[in-house]
Amino acid sequence: MDFPDGGREPTHQTQVRLQLRSRQADISLPDKTGPILVNTNLRRYALSTLVNTLLQSEKPIPLEFLINGTFLRTSLEEYLTANGISAENTLTVEYVRAIVPPLYLASFEHDAWVSSVDVLSSTSGAGNWMENAGFAPGHERILSGSFDGSLRVWNMSSEVLATSNSRTTPAIRSVKFYSPTQIVSSGDDCAITLWKYLEDQGTLSASLVPKLSLLGHSKSVECVAVHQRSNRILSASADGSVGLWSTKQSEGPSVPAAHLSSLAGNKRRRVSDHDSTPQRGPLSAKKAHSDCVSAAIFAPSDSTVGYSSSWDHTLKTWDLTTSTVVDTRTTSASIFSLNALPSLSLLAAGSSDKYIALIDPRTSATTITAMTLRGHTNSVVSLAPDPDSSYGLVSGSHDGTCRVWDIRSASSEKDGRVGKSIYTISRESVKGEERSRVGGEGIKVFDVKWDSKIGIVSASEDRRVQINQGKGMLNNDTPKAQVLQ
Amino acid sequence: MAPQRGDSKKRKAITRDSPEADEVLLSDGGDEEFLLDGTVSQSEDDSDEEENDVYSIDGGSEDDIRSDEVPSEDEAASNEDVKINGLGTVHIPQKETEDGDLEASNYTVTADANGNPRYVYNSIHPVYDSDDSDAPATTNTIGNIPLSLYDSYPHIGYDINGKKVSRPAKGEALDALLDSIDVPKGWTGLTDPSTGKPLELSQEELEVLKRIQMNEVPEEGYDPYPPTVEYFTGKTEVMPLSAAPEPKSRFVPSKHEAKRVMKIVRAIREGRILPYKPPAEKEEEDKEVKRYDIWANEAPRPDHPMNIPAPKLPPPGYGESYHPPPEYLPDRAEKKAWDEADEEDRDKDFLPADHDSLRKVPGYDRFVKEKFERCLDLYLAPRVRRSKLNIDPESLLPRLPSPDELKPFPTGCGIIYKGHEGRVRSVAVDPSGTLIASGGDDGTVRVWGLRDGDQRWSVKLGTDEAVNVVRWRPGTDTRVLAAAIGEELYLIVPQLVTAEREGPGADITDRSRDIVDAGWGYAASNSANGPSKKQPAAQWIRPASTRLQDAGVLVKITLRKTIKVISWHRRGEYFATVSPQGQSHAVAVHTLSKHLTQLPFRRLKGLAQSAQFHPSKPIFFVATQRTIRSYDLSKQELLKTIQPGARWISSFDVHPGGDNLIVGSYDKRLLWHDLDLSMRPYKTLRYHKKAIRAVRFHQGGLPLFADASDDGSLQIFHGKVVGDLMENASIVPLKVLRGHQVRKELGVMDVDWHPREPWCVSAGADGTCRLWK
Repeated sequence: MDFPDGGREPTHQTQVRLQLRSRQADISLPDKTGPILVNTNLRRYALSTLVNTLLQSEKPIPLEFLINGTFLRTSLEEYLTANGISAENTLTVEYVRAIVPPLYLASFEHDAWVSSVDVLSSTSGAGNWMENAGFAPGHERILSGSFDGSLRVWNMSSEVLATSNSRTTPAIRSVKFYSPTQIVSSGDDCAITLWKYLEDQGTLSASLVPKLSLLGHSKSVECVAVHQRSNRILSASADGSVGLWSTKQSEGPSVPAAHLSSLAGNKRRRVSDHDSTPQRGPLSAKKAHSDCVSAAIFAPSDSTVGYSSSWDHTLKTWDLTTSTVVDTRTTSASIFSLNALPSLSLLAAGSSDKYIALIDPRTSATTITAMTLRGHTNSVVSLAPDPDSSYGLVSGSHDGTCRVWDIRSASSEKDGRVGKSIYTISRESVKGEERSRVGGEGIKVFDVKWDSKIGIVSASEDRRVQINQGKGMLNNDTPKAQVLQ
Repeated sequence: MAPQRGDSKKRKAITRDSPEADEVLLSDGGDEEFLLDGTVSQSEDDSDEEENDVYSIDGGSEDDIRSDEVPSEDEAASNEDVKINGLGTVHIPQKETEDGDLEASNYTVTADANGNPRYVYNSIHPVYDSDDSDAPATTNTIGNIPLSLYDSYPHIGYDINGKKVSRPAKGEALDALLDSIDVPKGWTGLTDPSTGKPLELSQEELEVLKRIQMNEVPEEGYDPYPPTVEYFTGKTEVMPLSAAPEPKSRFVPSKHEAKRVMKIVRAIREGRILPYKPPAEKEEEDKEVKRYDIWANEAPRPDHPMNIPAPKLPPPGYGESYHPPPEYLPDRAEKKAWDEADEEDRDKDFLPADHDSLRKVPGYDRFVKEKFERCLDLYLAPRVRRSKLNIDPESLLPRLPSPDELKPFPTGCGIIYKGHEGRVRSVAVDPSGTLIASGGDDGTVRVWGLRDGDQRWSVKLGTDEAVNVVRWRPGTDTRVLAAAIGEELYLIVPQLVTAEREGPGADITDRSRDIVDAGWGYAASNSANGPSKKQPAAQWIRPASTRLQDAGVLVKITLRKTIKVISWHRRGEYFATVSPQGQSHAVAVHTLSKHLTQLPFRRLKGLAQSAQFHPSKPIFFVATQRTIRSYDLSKQELLKTIQPGARWISSFDVHPGGDNLIVGSYDKRLLWHDLDLSMRPYKTLRYHKKAIRAVRFHQGGLPLFADASDDGSLQIFHGKVVGDLMENASIVPLKVLRGHQVRKELGVMDVDWHPREPWCVSAGADGTCRLWK
């Protein structure tokens, strides 16, 4: 970091005009602010000080400066020289709040590979979907599902509050907090299970009881999405179908006959201790993909619209009321993960081809892929949006890293706009030897979540849930709520 | 007769020493006259002795002279007259007067060594006439006597004044000694072959011999080129010899001439004599040779890009100078190089040479050739401006598409499936593309989740033997795995969803179970019908252990020899196994629905290596060590014998189209066969350093194939087959995938493709499976 050399004034100092702008309303300068003439030897810190002075902010806000889509990392003069820009031009500089590196906070160790993770906090979807959802501040919880088929609920001091029955069961693929008292899980048992989660007040224990089994998929359920207000669960299964389910026992239809009849054949070996769990079928389960469906999500703004992504390279838009596919977008590789960037009406799709495609799902969009984010060295299997910024994104990949992206920092290349990650979170368990892990051997990240309270939570093959600081990494420029309306 | 006689006399006189002459004399012993005459003529011709000698030499033998010169009597008489006239009259009286003296005193007859008469002539009394004052003054005053007589004296003879002529300075005493050694005069050391006596040559004879040896005229002093005697002088006299005026006749026109002229004039007028007309100088034209003047029509043309005037010769440089600067002179190496170079390869036609002066410059030996070549250049070289084509030879090769254009294909290691102890021998991706089955040396069969690399299921089939091969049954509606360990073959429905958690996912398992178990009844009824038949090729039984049954191992088929290859028919009804050591049991075809095993080949030539069903037709391919044979299953006959030329085929795969084959061999070769084209490989790819263990086509529509080698690498190829028969398959090597470690000389043991995506899975000897994408 340079210090601003305000005291000594070099005799032959070139100066350049800067037009400072910000997309963030709370830190933007008044509109009438014209170009400012600054010395070209200034660096980020000096510029940040300058803007803070202009803003007359009491507490200095660290700022980053974006010029033509790249963050300023050198002095202005070096930037101008490197890019061949004359100092006589007026540079348009966008400034944003500086990102704090995602510091490592904690790791929660498991017995098996951790396949999925979810968080419960005042800012998470399950915690704040309703005013009186029952979430007590300070009771942040982390839910993890692992390949040995067990669910675990952790508090923030890495204590297991509840575990589902630890008998060897098929792997859990996806877990979600439905509400502070309900959990949804899905996995290789081809079913979606709704659990009742009850904490004992005062003690560090809780109970986890299956409340409802949702049957109807014939292969493992890879992903579930929940929408609390309409009591809907959207599921993606390896059999190529996308299911829509109701969490209300009364609302759900009975289990399809095909699945029931198939149970009869092996009755002799089945232990019927699950008979107590009520079973329900899907509201609709439609096979629209020719291959394994990797993810299904609700549209952030409209719960009647869903998106599903599949290994068959397609991204489909669903009208959930009629359960029909409205639109199909085909990409060049299998999509392994999908998430929405709410305020940009873009979908981020992580593919087997090591990049993240930002897809505009609207039918009016002319180009399928608005932008690609490149940097991972293996399949991108999980994506989570930044809760504080509409431009932030975190991705988890089989290469053993999570990467934080700011989609504003992008450059135009021959195949469209390409973004680069701004931070890479590596696994703390293999600190320093990530390079030797070919193909993320042993450290594959399976799931990642980003909560503004808890931070970036990632689940990995190294049998750990790792928590990194996520607060203030990108600037919260959109006051819009991240939850579904 | 007199002249003739005279001639013979002359001859005798000359050849008096020769034996022939002696003989003649002897035979004509009585002819005294002749002898007399001879002596007379001898004396007559004394002064002209040399002339006579010459004459006698010129004249050949006696007969010749006779035959040539026998004249008639008249002529002889006239000749005598002439002779008399020519020689003068003095001799005749002299002859007459001296006849008597000669007879008495001129010679004495003695006997020589042989007893023959020898005439010793007396010395001649010189007369006045004999004095030859014209003879040059001789310096030799001692006469014709040997010089040796004066050896003891300091002088040699006396001069005209009576003073001693002193001896010229003499050689060394040794020379004198040598000289004094008495060698007989004319001693040759040879023996006369005719007489047997030592051959001694006289001084004259030696001289003659010496001259002959020197290629000279033998006669001493003979001048072959005497000075010309000009009989008619060539000098023009300025003054006439006579001062008399020119006679009048000289100025009178000659009437005779006028007559002659008039005669010619008349003849011309009458046309008898035509005026001289020089014959037209026509070249003798050969009718057969056509000649053209190629420059006949050449007219000077304006300067134009398309009209190129004849190129001028370059002006001579320093090197062409007769006395070039020394730096232009070639050194020895350059000269040698120039000499050794082919004429066409020389950069210049000449070697610069240095001469002191221009007059020492020799004629230019290449002048004519150079001019000729210049002419050739001028009329053979087309003077057309032509855009020169600079063709890069690389560009003439058929352009292989760049691998970037052939995406997608696997480029790197995605997932590593770790868990096997010891080698992983076989790997297979399930038809739905979400599971991977692997079998290895630890006797286990494992099923993995393809995307995440988690082990879903495993079963230990045996302890002491390795699982050699695992293959999924085709079709997405079931999940049946065939695995071979030793001579046992298991049909497995992996129990991925455990029984405790009743799930709807069990339906695929149930369907699979139904298919596998459907044959029990058939087998039972069949065996009931014919129990007396010979021992079946294989036994289909339910595995005894409940552990295996619970894991989903439903059928155990026992064959006779170790099974190395399993290959399913596309419908999943049949599958073939190959046990290379099995001889007549090497290839077995199993029917799933009937639990039936058939042995289609009673005898196979060579060790069976692999077998495959044709993807669409009822054709069955069987590979032995050297060849692959294809059999029509419906007609039960041999269709084709494919000879890849490999020494030991390790594996092969049939293109999903059915018309192409890839063959991998232990001798490092990967061969592509176009079955329609030839029985020989269409392309041979040698990129591996070690044996190729497995080859596999992508079955899901992507034009890819892969091979796995002992050198620890996989290679991915683009192999596009076009439906058009006119176009050959294009094969492009795309990527070498490294990552597997080589353990005990073994690298990658097996490879399989994802059914749809461009991902492939390999089984390595290092105990891992890898997904490449």
